[in-house]
Amino acid sequence: MSAALDEVLARARKLLGDWESEDCGVLAVKDFCRYAAALNDADYIRRARAQEAAGEPVVAPALFLAGTMSWQDGPAEDELRPDGLAARESPCTQGLPVRQVHGGQSVRLLRAAVAGTRVTALRAVTSADQRQGRSGEFVLLGVSTRFTTEDGEELMVMDETIVVLDGAPDDRSGAAA
Amino acid sequence: MTPPSAGQVCPPRHYTHSSVQLFRFSAVSWNAHRIHYDTGFAALEGHPGVVVQSTLHGEMLGRYALEWAGPGASLESVSWRNRATAVAGEPLTWTATVRAAEPCDAGVRVTLDVSVLKDDGAPCVTGQVELTRRAARTSP
Repeated sequence: MSAALDEVLARARKLLGDWESEDCGVLAVKDFCRYAAALNDADYIRRARAQEAAGEPVVAPALFLAGTMSWQDGPAEDELRPDGLAARESPCTQGLPVRQVHGGQSVRLLRAAVAGTRVTALRAVTSADQRQGRSGEFVLLGVSTRFTTEDGEELMVMDETIVVLDGAPDDRSGAAA
Repeated sequence: MTPPSAGQVCPPRHYTHSSVQLFRFSAVSWNAHRIHYDTGFAALEGHPGVVVQSTLHGEMLGRYALEWAGPGASLESVSWRNRATAVAGEPLTWTATVRAAEPCDAGVRVTLDVSVLKDDGAPCVTGQVELTRRAARTSP
């Protein structure tokens, strides 16, 4: 395996089981509706705005929490990786010539996420393995995220896999058009 | 709708994602990966267009499953593995087959084997959706 992938594996193994807490903020109807708009779900928007106007609870689109990649404000552009991701969104790869792709996701919905709720995401790297694929070796990272309310109620449990591969396309150096 | 039973094949759904939708979904999900909105960068990674987000595939798996199940259905879980990339404008098909249907407090818990297929039938994603459906009324 390449030195870069060895380093990803070493970093990930140091982080195994180390849960980090992230404040997702207070869930807002506008964010729900924008998410629904991106899915061309006009019915959701009409229903959510009517519920809001009537003072009724507004429940997030079912996969809103799982679909949101990051809850941080994010860095300025010059701090992004060449692929556009922030370091937080590409665990264990900072400064390394690697690229990542999403391997898949498993989401269990436990309670509805309601507007006005402050949500916390607890996140950890849960596995890190060296694998061999058709196009060569790669590192498979397992990442778990648990979304909870301020009262400690679990809303959603999400497990996902991230595939880290050798080689990082970078057109910002002028090497590629 | 008749009660679901194992082996039942759900009507397929055909759709495409536009490049505008991919950009908007990247924006609302705070996903700045350039393969989703930068055609030149996507080409550097070997893709013929901007790439459909994995999480957007997940959304479609769940949404079409809920539409099939009808009003009052609720999602319990969604899981999928990525098999191949899809790009903006590519014809896609949602398919599902009932794996199991069992009574539960809310009505019926249904497990679907789901996939999103490319035009040639190759899978982009495969997975499972679990949902609950209200039990069909048996008396007037």
